[in-house]
Parts: sequence; structure tokens; C-alpha cells
Amino acid sequence: MKKKWLPYILVSPYILHFIVFVAFPVLFSLVLTFHEWNIISPMKFNGFGNYIKMFNDRMFWKSLINTFKFLIIHIPLQIIFSLALAEFLNQNIKFKGFFRAAFFLPVIVSGVVVTILWQQLFGFDSGLFNRMLVSIGLSKVGWLLDPSIAMGSIALMATWKNVGLYVILFLVGLQTVPPHYYEAASIEGATHWQKFRNITLPMINPTIFMVVILSTIGGFSLFIEPYIMTGGGPLSSTLSSVLYIYKQAFQYFHMGYSVTLGFFFAILILGVVVIQKKYIEQGED
Amino acid sequence: MINKQYVIVLLLILTCLSCNKSKNENDQALLFWSSNNRGEIEFTEYFVNQWNDKKTTPLKFQPIPEGQSSEEVILASVVGKTTPDIYANMWQGSVEMYAKAGVLVPLDTLEGFTEFIKARCTKKVLEEITSSDGHIYQVPWKINPIMTIYNKRLESDFDLPSLPLSYDMYLEAGEKIKADNDKDGYIDQYVGYTAVKVIWFERLMNFYPLYIAASDGGQLIKDNEAAFNNDHAVGVFRFLQELYQKEYFSKERLSAGQDRFITEDIYTKWTGPWEIRHVDKFKQRNDFKFDFYPMPVPKGHSGPVYTYSDPKNIVVFNTCKNPQKAWEFIKTLVTKEGDKKLLEITTQLPNRKNLITDITFQDYFKTHPKMKAFAEQANYIKGIDNCEIIVEVFDIISQEYEACVIYNKKTPEKAIADAAKAVDNLLKN
Repeated sequence: MKKKWLPYILVSPYILHFIVFVAFPVLFSLVLTFHEWNIISPMKFNGFGNYIKMFNDRMFWKSLINTFKFLIIHIPLQIIFSLALAEFLNQNIKFKGFFRAAFFLPVIVSGVVVTILWQQLFGFDSGLFNRMLVSIGLSKVGWLLDPSIAMGSIALMATWKNVGLYVILFLVGLQTVPPHYYEAASIEGATHWQKFRNITLPMINPTIFMVVILSTIGGFSLFIEPYIMTGGGPLSSTLSSVLYIYKQAFQYFHMGYSVTLGFFFAILILGVVVIQKKYIEQGED
Repeated sequence: MINKQYVIVLLLILTCLSCNKSKNENDQALLFWSSNNRGEIEFTEYFVNQWNDKKTTPLKFQPIPEGQSSEEVILASVVGKTTPDIYANMWQGSVEMYAKAGVLVPLDTLEGFTEFIKARCTKKVLEEITSSDGHIYQVPWKINPIMTIYNKRLESDFDLPSLPLSYDMYLEAGEKIKADNDKDGYIDQYVGYTAVKVIWFERLMNFYPLYIAASDGGQLIKDNEAAFNNDHAVGVFRFLQELYQKEYFSKERLSAGQDRFITEDIYTKWTGPWEIRHVDKFKQRNDFKFDFYPMPVPKGHSGPVYTYSDPKNIVVFNTCKNPQKAWEFIKTLVTKEGDKKLLEITTQLPNRKNLITDITFQDYFKTHPKMKAFAEQANYIKGIDNCEIIVEVFDIISQEYEACVIYNKKTPEKAIADAAKAVDNLLKN
């Protein structure tokens, strides 16, 4: 009898945590998608009203396109920079420890602090970037003011913030490549690029996959940067899906609608990640 | 040896018991939340101590808990049913939503409230704070009217015939002040600055006070319909659009940067009385002189110039077990003595009539002449229309503001018409 109950008692804290903080909120949210609710008044049943509204909400679709734009800029930048830095740090260079710590530092700094810092760098009149451009005779750039550039600026900043994390992942990947592969390739007269193309890249493919998945999920959750820097502007060009969902929930108190958007968005992320996984696995075969 | 299972069960029971709400004599105490502004904490402490010295019902006071914004903290406390009995600093625009949700005490049902409030406030303010169900859920407490602050060099250095009180004069001043001082090919000196961020509340500092000024206190929402599709709103958009198009205003976001009014790169901005202490504290030269004048108005405007009052009020939540006692405490804050203390300690204006002529406050205004300008302006103010979705209304206007005023993608007529149409759709749903 004792043995029968003890395992259940031991796992009960986790089960309780799961029910309270995962299962109940998910089920409650699902119910909420069929209701109108402003948090403080009683819920009103709304049938599929929220879903119909979502399909007709141009701003939501615009926010989705913006999020994909961000991903298209951010993921390649993230992979190229972090892999290049990891390659650099994988060599026998002086102050390796210092560089590793320096590249990782932005990861542990608060997103709010980083965003405010970059807001200063991107300033049109007094920002450092524009001052540098003017000092070499170039025109100022509306980093956060030009609707066609603003999302790129945010992607650049997000890449800088997260590059340290992916450098560590790539470093781990690079260190798992057996050195004798490179030795054999050198004996055969392979160039650095050939070694990188034909040995390094195939060998670190699982790491690339992980970085793509992580940066995709991270990119989909883009929020702090546009929230603080641009508020979704200029002309809604940096309005990410999460920022839009947040506005629906905590600015307008459309809880039912925001949860509907959240559900749709979660399914979309799942779909994108599954497609990515299949595509990369096919590449491996 | 003690059975482990019994120990675990005992621990779980103890945990549950420790979560039980304790009952003690303090349960009868009223809980008061003030804002976490240093001046208001000092102000509240003074009155809470005074109350606790004399009265039998104890009063506990704490600044509103830290959060992203006080609105979010209040919302969380309403949802969690952990609201204080009294909350001071409620934005007038939020009251209607809470009133409709039934979480506020209708104060006009309390003894002595209506007579007191009628004696304190103007008829216009009373109309403004009366909810759509005919009850009053808020005590009009303080206001910070929005005016134009200007660097006094504006008068002496730029050969202006007078202060730029109207749109055309302001634009003329913009042309004269615009300069590229560091010769890098870009303007770095402007007539003014106002926030460009698309977030709704930024419009409370530019579009809204200008609209109120142009329309002599006009409404945004009337009879559950958009009431701003008119020449006044179009004129405001056109005026602001021209300021940006001609580079008389900077489009840069300055929120986290140096104050460019203090560095004298801009010569005016639209702000409230809090700016007086700020500029006095951070000004970079001792002979830096500044003053205030009303919001710019269209050419040919006559009569007094109205503005947005940025009203913050006091409410009693329905979790309060003794609303009558709560009102008695609130009354001590909004008596003439309370209002004088508010002025002296916080540099914010009480929302009461005859502020400038009442002998109680005359000494203060004699020694604080800049505040006198705001007190005079307090006769011509407007708060927020009673509308449950006022935040969304401002957000819609803000989207159109950005498209028209900042980026010149729409004409003012189209932008205002589109905003009004979107607001009407929202109100119908």
C-alpha cells in the first residue's frame, strides 16, 4: 500500500504545478476564445465571433507579415554572425575567454536596457550611427523613422543581443568535429573554404537546425524591442504579432479575442517549426 | 521511526493552513493607495497621520505597488479582488469602464457627498464626471492643464512680433527658429517638439489639447458617436502636419535622451505644471528663463483658450467595507486646507472652482507666479469624455495621426474621416 501511493505523492507537486499553471490556463483560454471578456465584467458567449473577427482583421495579418519579415532578416543574420564569431573563437587566439564573455554579455543584459541603449544609437539627429555616417560624408538614415528600414534595424539589434547564445551553441558544435577530418583534408590540399563547406557545415548541421528552431521561436515572440522603441510604428511597420496580441489584451481588454489570436499564433509557430524540421531532415538524408 | 508519508501529509496541511487569511483588528482599517510620486507620498502621509491621530477607524496607507503602469496594477488588483478601499490618482478616462463593471462605489449615494462636491467643483466638471448611469463614481481631485512652455529667448532672439499664440504665428516662428547650428546639413534647432510615438496616450499631449483649444472644449465622443469629424480636428492635423513637413518639429524620439528644451535646441513644448520643477532643477545656465502661454489656436479664434486638464481623481472600490468612512477621509484631502497642501507639496493643481480668486490660495500664487498661469488656465479646461473604450478611440486617432501628421500619407480630411468612421464602427459593436 505504502509503495503504491508514494510515487504519486512524490510527483504530486509537479502534477499540481502542471494543472494550475499549464493545463487549466490552456483549457480556460480555449473556452475564452468563444467569449467576449474584458476581465472585470462577466464573460459573454460569442460563438465563433472571435475567429471570424481574426480572419477579417487586416492589422493582425499585417502584424504576421511583419513578424515573418523580421524572421527573414533576423535568422540568416543570426546564423552568419554567430557562426563566423564561433569560428573565430574556435581558433587559437589570445584573450579567448574575454571575447567569449564579451559576446555573451548582451544575452544576460535586460532586454529593456539593451533596447533603450540601441534607441540612442539609432537616434536620427543625435544617434551615434547617424553621427558616424555624417562624419564620413554620408546621409542620415531614419533607422526607426523610415517604415522600410525600421524592422531591419530591430532585427539588427535583436541579432546583436542574442548572438552570444548562438556562438556558444556553434562553438560546442564545432568542437565535436573530429580534427583528423581537417588533417586528412589538408593533406589532400583542401582550402579553408572547402574544409568549411564540406566538413564543418555538414558536421554541425544538427546545431544549425537547433539555432534555426530557437531563433525562429525567439523571433516569433518579438515584443520588447518594438514595444519600447517604436510602439509598433512607423506606420505599423514594426507591429509584431505578439505586440498586437498584447495590445488587444492589456490595452483594449479584449481578452477573448487576444487569446484567439494567441491560439492561432501558437499553432502557426508549431506548423513552421515542423516544416523547418522536415526540410532540414531531408537535407541531412 | 516516523513514517515519511505522514510527514509529507503534515507538511501539506501546514502549508494550506498558512495560506489561510488571518483575522485581526486591522481588518477594520481602511486601505489607501496613493501614486508613488514622492510629493504625493509626502502629501498622503501628512493626512493619514492626521486622520489616525484623531479618528477611531484606522487607515493604512501605501503607494501603489510597482508595476508597468498604475493602470495595469489597478486592473490586476480588480481581477484578483485585492483592491484598496480608496485609490487616489485614477485617470478620469478609466473610471467609466470600472463603473460599468460595478467595481466602484457610487459616491453620490453617500451622505454629504453631493453637497460637498457641488460646492467644490464647477458645473462643467460635475457633468464630466457623471457616469452614463447618472451616478458619480469619482472625486475630482487634481489637474495638470497642458500649456505651452517657452524659452524666453523666443521673444528676444528671433524678432517675433509677439508670442506665437496662433497656428500661423507658430509656423512663422518655426521658420525663423529653424537652424542648422553645427553645419552638418541637418536642422538641429526647432520651434518645438512633441512626442511622435504612436502610443495612444502621447496624443493627450498634442492632438487632444490642440483639439480642445480649437473647439473651445469640444468632445471626441457624443451620444455614442464620434464627434471629432469637423474643421477643428482637421485644422489641428493640418497644423501639425505642416510643422513636420517644413521641419519646424523634429521627428526624433527623445524619450530616453537629453531634454532638448533644457539644452535650448527647441524653444517650446506642450506640457503641464510638473515641468516647472524639472526645468528649474536641470537647467544648464542660471539665467535660463521660461514661462507658459496657452495652446496655439487657429487664426481668428476669439475668447478664452481651453485645454486638456489631465484629471486624476479619487475612487472607492466596492471591496471597501465602510464607504462612508472612506468618503470622510477623502473629504479631508479635498478641503481647502488639503488642496493648499497639494499645491505646496506636489505642485499640482486641485480641481476646484475659483482657485485663482479664493483667498486660501492667493499667497501661494503670489510666491509661485508660474503656477498662477496654470491656475488661470484651470478656468478653461476639459477632461476626458465618458466612454468605456476611450483608449481605443485615442489609439485609432493615433494611427491616423502618424499616417497623416508625421508621414504625410493622408490628407488631414481623410485621416480624420477615417478615424471617425473606425470609432463609429467600434462604438456600434
